[in-house]
Amino acid sequence: MVEQASAPAPLLSVRDLHVRFPTERGAVNAVNGVSFDLYEGKTLAIVGESGSGKSVTAKTLMNLLPRTAQVSGEVTYDGQDVRALAAAGTKHFFGVQMTMVFQDPMTSLNPVKRVGEQIAETLRYHLGRSRSEALEEAEELLEVVGMPEPARRVSQYPHELSGGLRQRVVIAMALACQPRLLIADEPTTAVDVTVQKHLLDLLDRLRRDRGMSMILITHDLGVAHGRADDVAVMYAGRVVETADARTLFFDMRHPYTEALLRSIPRIDDPVHHRLDPIPGRPPELIDPPEACAFAPRCIYAQGDCLGGVPELSGLVGLHRFACLHPTGTERGMAAMSANRAAGVTAAGLPVADSGGGG
Amino acid sequence: MNAEDRVTGKPKASRDPRASRQRLLWRFRILRLVRPSRVSDDSPAGDDSAVRRRLGFSFWLAVVWLLIMAFVAVCAPLLPMADPTKVAFSGPREPPSLDAWFGTDALGRDVFSRTMYGARISLAVGGFAIVFGMVVGGSLGIVAGYFRGRLDQAVGFVFFVLLSFPALVLAILITATFERSMLVVSLTIGILAVAPVGLLSRASTLVFAEREFVAAARVLGARNGRIIVRELLPNVVIPMGALTLLGMAVAVVAEGSLAFLGLSVAGEDAISWGKMIVDGAGLRDLQNATHVTMFPVAVMFVTVLSLNFAGDRIREYFDVKELAF
Amino acid sequence: MARFVLRRVVLLFAVLFAVTFLGFAAMNLLGDPLVNVVGVLAELDCEGIEAGTVEDTTVDAASRDCDTVAAAKAQYHLDRPVPIRYVLWLSDMATGDFGTSFQNDQPVSEVIREKLPETLILLTMAQIVSLGVAVPWGVIAAYRANRAFDRGSTVASFGLLSVPNFALGVVLLYLLALRWQIFPSAYESGSFGGLVFSLVLPAVTLGLPLAASYQRLLRTDLITTLQEDFVHMARAKGLPPMRIMFRHALRPSMFSVVTVFGVSTGALIGGSLVVEQIFGIPGIGREIVTAVVRDDFPVVLAIVMLVAVTFVVLNFLVDLLYSWLDPRVRAR
Repeated sequence: MVEQASAPAPLLSVRDLHVRFPTERGAVNAVNGVSFDLYEGKTLAIVGESGSGKSVTAKTLMNLLPRTAQVSGEVTYDGQDVRALAAAGTKHFFGVQMTMVFQDPMTSLNPVKRVGEQIAETLRYHLGRSRSEALEEAEELLEVVGMPEPARRVSQYPHELSGGLRQRVVIAMALACQPRLLIADEPTTAVDVTVQKHLLDLLDRLRRDRGMSMILITHDLGVAHGRADDVAVMYAGRVVETADARTLFFDMRHPYTEALLRSIPRIDDPVHHRLDPIPGRPPELIDPPEACAFAPRCIYAQGDCLGGVPELSGLVGLHRFACLHPTGTERGMAAMSANRAAGVTAAGLPVADSGGGG
Repeated sequence: MNAEDRVTGKPKASRDPRASRQRLLWRFRILRLVRPSRVSDDSPAGDDSAVRRRLGFSFWLAVVWLLIMAFVAVCAPLLPMADPTKVAFSGPREPPSLDAWFGTDALGRDVFSRTMYGARISLAVGGFAIVFGMVVGGSLGIVAGYFRGRLDQAVGFVFFVLLSFPALVLAILITATFERSMLVVSLTIGILAVAPVGLLSRASTLVFAEREFVAAARVLGARNGRIIVRELLPNVVIPMGALTLLGMAVAVVAEGSLAFLGLSVAGEDAISWGKMIVDGAGLRDLQNATHVTMFPVAVMFVTVLSLNFAGDRIREYFDVKELAF
Repeated sequence: MARFVLRRVVLLFAVLFAVTFLGFAAMNLLGDPLVNVVGVLAELDCEGIEAGTVEDTTVDAASRDCDTVAAAKAQYHLDRPVPIRYVLWLSDMATGDFGTSFQNDQPVSEVIREKLPETLILLTMAQIVSLGVAVPWGVIAAYRANRAFDRGSTVASFGLLSVPNFALGVVLLYLLALRWQIFPSAYESGSFGGLVFSLVLPAVTLGLPLAASYQRLLRTDLITTLQEDFVHMARAKGLPPMRIMFRHALRPSMFSVVTVFGVSTGALIGGSLVVEQIFGIPGIGREIVTAVVRDDFPVVLAIVMLVAVTFVVLNFLVDLLYSWLDPRVRAR
């Protein structure tokens, strides 16, 4: 592997990760060769639609996959092989070094245990706190995550809290042992729009205060904007484009990234601006054809897109993309105008002559 | 459902605890067997549905055993066996021999031939009881499920009351009130079957009464009676039929329990497995003439196991859970 | 929650009414109630004997029998019209007056007081056995779902559920008490310890098949629970598997077991009739069977009513317990 020469060793390094699930209809190739690095104190956003493999990637890192999953590839945390640590049942690694926040606070808290106990449990197990110490600390943690009336909340059950408050509990739980790496899997998808921003800002502030690294998994590029240092866009189990956030947002190359950006509303859009949804549906992951997985939904698609899976260009750490006709390049422009002229892409997607292309 | 959700396989739908609880109670009451459900199999691969669609070798083995028992039950008097009520020459409590395959009991009667004759009452009572339960419970359930409203509430209450007795205790109340003839014993166990079967048919009716073909029949002006008989009955009979063997297993055990307590069909020539087992269950007999109880125990166990096993395979084959639960 | 409890209470009383009415009807509406209660004595022409119009060959015995008949009439208010009779009978039962056995002139309440403890101990032990077996069994099966142990236990529980409990009882009695002599073969009431020890085999006979169904339920629920997010969360917190199993997954997976607890107690009560017979335990179950054989209808009726009412009330309590166990239901 070639690394950037001057940079320190990454905190987390993933190389060529593959995850397959055998099912009765054939193997589901959920993750196909994902590689990335995450440095101390940085945030990496992994963006993609549901089914893109982003959550499976996160679960693989945390060793949360069902036993039937077939995993290959390397995951290194601080020089240690994470999968070996997990297999050996190493104590006080997960939860202390790296931990995770889940998507749905409604289901990620144990319904029959009090909130305080659930936070205290981690402290007692990993740090050997006594019950009363741990409960006191739990209360402090609730205060840190901005929970109103923390003293009262510790003795409440999850169902007594709103979604936003529950997610704060989950965050407090994750932060209890001061982990160095936090994986947040769609942390705000299941909560009210009004509290989404609060939670994201909270996570961001906590990360900064504590010098944590974070993997932020989301389907919404807007969430990544302004919070991530690097962004990896995933599609059909592969990283299709990755770059530092600025480059990705302002100089994207992959048509999928472009489409994702178009599908979110922006503050500077004119009133009644029509958002462009991405046509079609995410691909099936069982027996995928040897072609660019995005081609059937891509307005740039050409004949060669259907001929093989495009490789991710460039080196790890640089702006990389897997596209034969990247947007913003001459090849891309040519492909787009050819498709417009024909009214249809090589994969059979109809293209309006005056589309939203740019 | 996209691939990722499928493989990470979480039951996302929030289950209403109370509804699922009612379903469970009722499944427990009907089947007594609680089998692993497909939804909750942890491996995404799960069991191959193609495999489940086959009945399998052991199913046919069970069926063969049941057919043999049924044949023996029907033809017992015609078969070349010792008279089950006559004292054999060899004497009492003889161990198994070529003459008396299962030995002889305390009165010197042939245990093999008694065991074979025992199938008659057990299977006849079991069969009658489940048919009675299906006819009475089934029609009550369909009518309640179709018409809903007050009628449904009344029928539901009757079922609830019937289920409020521990089964054997209700049976005892009935057998204490009437003469213990074959008919009364069969009816007793049949009454026990009414409520569970009725609940099942009511639930299936509720499902099917919502379907398009019933609505269509109604729009076309079909009368209620016609809809029930022509549209609902065939659909409701499938899950009920698939549960017949399981119900029969429960009925056979119930008859055995009554017989064991001396409360089944009365009379010297009324041979039943339960009665045979209790006859040899005295401590001395158990120690010195184990064969007197163990042979009927074994035959009864294999029969009940076959009923349960075959019944369960059939239930799975017709996927009754999906239809009814 | 209050409305829920209220609705359950109304249903409870409706069912209690119906259940007692069934028992009442069995005695009063099917045939002559006097015959039901005292049997052949009902044919005595007591008025005739008293008036001296009927010749009485066995004066002493007959007059005592006539006392019995009179007592029975008074006890069951047979001179009153049926609806009033029902109400009076109910209020007698409610005040603990269950009638008198006319076979041996013993008040039924006394019989019950004498026999009930054994049966209660037996039922409690049976539930303890079944839960004690089912919880570890279910946990291991779920932890290694679809592996060898789990598949094996599927077969085993299927087999256990197919053994009629009288057959299981006889086999266990033979093997463990007679053949290997680990447990006593007969009931012992000398000391409490001895009593409990002699009830182990009966309790196992009752509890083992129940353990099999509990185990299936627990396994299925545990497998579902183990896929829940909060279990993933607990794993992400770095807790060890067994701690997650017992601290996080077990309790939310016990709902099904609790749900069928009440119903299964009904099955146990039925089973206790048989098991008390096999092991010679002088409990309620044995008493009721003896009473049926002796045509001692007052005893049968009283015990059936007692058992049915207990069963209904127990299921009502389980309902409440269930709500307590699941805070989510509590909130509704």
